[in-house]
Amino acid sequence: MTLNTTAETETAKIARGLRERDMELLADLVERCQHRLVGYLLYLTGRREYAEDLAQETWIRVLQRGSQYNGRQRFDPWLFAIARNLAIDYLRKKRKAVATVSLPNDRDAMLLLPSSDPSPFEAAARSEDAMRLAGRLQILPPLYREALLLRFQEDLSLAEMAQVLGAPTTTVTSRIYRGLAALRSAFEEGDSHGG
Amino acid sequence: MEGEKRFRELIDRSFVEEVSEGERQLIHDHIRDCDGCKRYVELTARTIRGLREFTFTSEPDSNAQVREILAHHTETIRQHNVQFKAWAAFAVALSMSIVGSALVYQVAKLLTVPMHFDTAQVQAGVLVFWLLPSLCSALRLLAAPGENRGIA
Repeated sequence: MTLNTTAETETAKIARGLRERDMELLADLVERCQHRLVGYLLYLTGRREYAEDLAQETWIRVLQRGSQYNGRQRFDPWLFAIARNLAIDYLRKKRKAVATVSLPNDRDAMLLLPSSDPSPFEAAARSEDAMRLAGRLQILPPLYREALLLRFQEDLSLAEMAQVLGAPTTTVTSRIYRGLAALRSAFEEGDSHGG
Repeated sequence: MEGEKRFRELIDRSFVEEVSEGERQLIHDHIRDCDGCKRYVELTARTIRGLREFTFTSEPDSNAQVREILAHHTETIRQHNVQFKAWAAFAVALSMSIVGSALVYQVAKLLTVPMHFDTAQVQAGVLVFWLLPSLCSALRLLAAPGENRGIA
């Protein structure tokens, strides 16, 4: 009960601060959420440079539309939902831009593929198992990747995930199961190769 | 085989959603005798553990950069708001000046006969003593000192 009250107070405080465009509160939110936001956007886009740019755009949107946050739910799912919409628009525009230009060869199309630099997932892996998953994550469809991140890294509830993804919880769980199945095979294959 | 598939669905569910104590016990009892499902549980747990072992960091100066951008945007939004309020106040004051002057003119016209004024004098009086001062007051709203707003 006390915990609930504290959580309510916290979200209400954030809602008020966003309505009043309180810079101190915004700076605090940036401090707390920026790296997680970049992580989420990395899972969505698979590219570090997109993630950093989109994170900045997300915060500007938070500033502009702060009055729409009602403080009745947690701030994080609301933030991720904004980031997701921006990322989808951004990727759609990128894809359209490449599609409308007649390409002399396939090199320009590489813009839409993961770069050859070490993947952001490999850079973020902190254990041998994580490193093993990194390669799979890079090729896993973003829809499954983001579902896995929101559930197992951000610990969002299925209802919160449904809010972020704009999909029913049955779709959310199905994406998690499929994502898990794809990643689990990394260990199955690895172990069987290793004997 | 069908039973094993059902168990694996239940195992998946136990990692993602809340399952009842009975279902948890069912899984526990089943994996004691089924090596395939036991391995399935281990691999799923390992995958989830692996997923939690990613640490994403933003660029070192990224937080400061975002704060700077937000401060700049906040200032821009504030200035827009102040300008909007000033123009809105001016529009209200202007319409009140016009409506007020029209009313005063109608009242003054009634007094022309008893006070021996002609219409031109009434018009001049309303213009000098009512319309011009109220227009000046309305314009002053746009040029309030210390604020970078309106026509100031």
